[in-house]
Amino acid sequence: MHLLPLLLYAAAAAAYVAHFAWRDPRVGRLATALLAGGVLAHTFLIGMQTVQAGHAPLVGTSAAISAFVWLLGLSYLYIELTSDERSMGVFVAVLLVALDVIPALDPAVTPRPPVLQSPLFTVHVMSLLFAYASFALACVLGVTYALLFKEIKAKQLGFFYARLPPLATLDLMNSRAITVGWSFLTIGVVVGGIWAWQVKGSSDPRVQAMSLADPKILVALVSWGIYSFALFARKAAGWSGRRAALLSGVAFAVVLLNFVLVGYFLTASHNF
Amino acid sequence: MRLFAVGLSHRSAPVELRETVDFARKGLEHALAELSTRGVGRELVVLSTCNRAEIYAVGDTDGTAEHVGRFFSEYHEIPHEHVREHLYVHRGADAARHLFRVAAGLDSLVVGEPQILGQVKAAYAVASDGQFTAALTNRLFHSAFTVGKRVRSETGLGEGAVSVSYAAIALAKKIFGDLRGRSVLILGAGEMAKLTGIHLQAQHVKQIAIASRTLATAQTLAARLDGTAVPWERVDHALSAADIVVTATGASEPVLTRARVGETMRHRRNRPLFVIDIAVPRDVAADVGQLDQVFLYNIDDLRSIVQENLARRGAELARAEAIIDEEVAKYTAWMQSREIVPTVVALRQRFEAIRRAELARLEPKLSGLPPEARARVDEITRLIVEKLLLTPTEQLKAVSDEAMIVAYADALNRLFSLAQDTDRGQVSSEEESEVS
Repeated sequence: MHLLPLLLYAAAAAAYVAHFAWRDPRVGRLATALLAGGVLAHTFLIGMQTVQAGHAPLVGTSAAISAFVWLLGLSYLYIELTSDERSMGVFVAVLLVALDVIPALDPAVTPRPPVLQSPLFTVHVMSLLFAYASFALACVLGVTYALLFKEIKAKQLGFFYARLPPLATLDLMNSRAITVGWSFLTIGVVVGGIWAWQVKGSSDPRVQAMSLADPKILVALVSWGIYSFALFARKAAGWSGRRAALLSGVAFAVVLLNFVLVGYFLTASHNF
Repeated sequence: MRLFAVGLSHRSAPVELRETVDFARKGLEHALAELSTRGVGRELVVLSTCNRAEIYAVGDTDGTAEHVGRFFSEYHEIPHEHVREHLYVHRGADAARHLFRVAAGLDSLVVGEPQILGQVKAAYAVASDGQFTAALTNRLFHSAFTVGKRVRSETGLGEGAVSVSYAAIALAKKIFGDLRGRSVLILGAGEMAKLTGIHLQAQHVKQIAIASRTLATAQTLAARLDGTAVPWERVDHALSAADIVVTATGASEPVLTRARVGETMRHRRNRPLFVIDIAVPRDVAADVGQLDQVFLYNIDDLRSIVQENLARRGAELARAEAIIDEEVAKYTAWMQSREIVPTVVALRQRFEAIRRAELARLEPKLSGLPPEARARVDEITRLIVEKLLLTPTEQLKAVSDEAMIVAYADALNRLFSLAQDTDRGQVSSEEESEVS
């Protein structure tokens, strides 16, 4: 059962690739249907895990990545169905597959330790995951912007020119994704801070490690800094278009680094 | 019953004649009604666009084509000699192929243009609403819509701009999305500037500013384009407000240098700028294109895009023709299976008549039998006839060559003396369903 979402995501990714290459609308609808099926199966999976464990499976990096993949798939589907623009799907679906490999291979649900019972913890994790999903979309938009930009600038109108929406649309959606992501990142970090302060007295060694020196917390603040800069630079200095696109790519690389690498190997405070 | 397509198009007739035989002027309904009262053809569709005037008709004899041809001159009250040499006539499968090529845009002036499919649909809708269409034309036009859709979605025939102005507008749309709300600055007020301005105006841009070295000529063009004239000294200011700049001055030195555009880019806070340089010699220094967020295309760049698009359309032609072949084959198979239907029906009626006659003749001998046995006799004779006709019916329906169909029909008519009691084509739907 825990492999089903991954298989459906992979099938959807293959269909999105085929649709992107040959632009057959039937394949496009199939891709959307497969992705919707994947998200649905994933919803069931997370639901079952919740019932089994008695709480939402948000503890542990695998579970967090799983929830992230689910949120990203859901957000993307929402955008696709509201904007009727399917060309981004190929990038998103590939990212979903790459990330969902981790929870699919390691599906165990870690029990929630007493220190994490607070509702603040759930708010903290959910807002951060939603922020990351938005940043992932911003990154995809940034990458596609850069690809299209390059073609138009070099006067080589080809593959992407025929397939991607206009630069202005990509830029606008990128800006919205970063604004939404930044808001949730801010909420997540602030709520996390409040929660850490509340449980300060706990003897759990991980709570003791909650400080700015912990790589997970540090890199999270660094990414908050980068996205704040991206927002500020767009408003104040006209950093839109290509620069914004590059920035959203770099920033998401930092987020991903924090989420996967730091989450697994380096952090002392967040290894629940 | 045969299908005919009679008409003239940009390929066969000069524009003056095409204007004269425009059926749309008095309304297609009027032309259809007129055709109908003259008894030209059983089913009728009139297609009239600025590039073609065509009548699709279903008639019994080849004379239908001649009648339809005469209608072109009679309806428009011009001597027939003026029209005759420009008319083409397509029959049967060729007529279907012609319509399919028209619907797919293969017969258009600009190959692959998309409007024609809509015009074909509209022409059919008028004829269908007026009940001038029936089985043959209904099927024909629906097949044509399928062809149009398939060519659009399965080939790249309709893709890519094929004129310099459209290439520029397509690029602008790929950069800015919708062009409403965008500002345009045109440098120069000559013919090229005007043409491009008209195309941009058609995209409902927010404003068009025109700057020329002589303010008066700028004002003239501004009046034509609903724009504003900008004095030459204020070009830098106008440049920072613009999203799209079209340069078409007669200057021998570049008007926009990298330093000049770079300076305005700072004022406009890096908003993208699309520069279309259609002047020869060029008005914009080549290194302007290196500035971040500036997209510079000159006339040669646009021309090469057009060339590429045309070449790509050429390559897609073969794929489109293959789709048309397929649909023509489907349509003719259907049409011919219908043509043999009257013969099949007549043959079956003949056999049934013989069976009935024989039963009637034997009535005195059969009358002594109990009712069940009589029913059995009836049943058995009916089955024998069915069995005898099964293979011939299948074979006849499988014939797809028109000449063969005529030969078979002739042979059967003679062998079984069918001709006197059937009129080919006059088959009620009830009889038809018997053999389908």
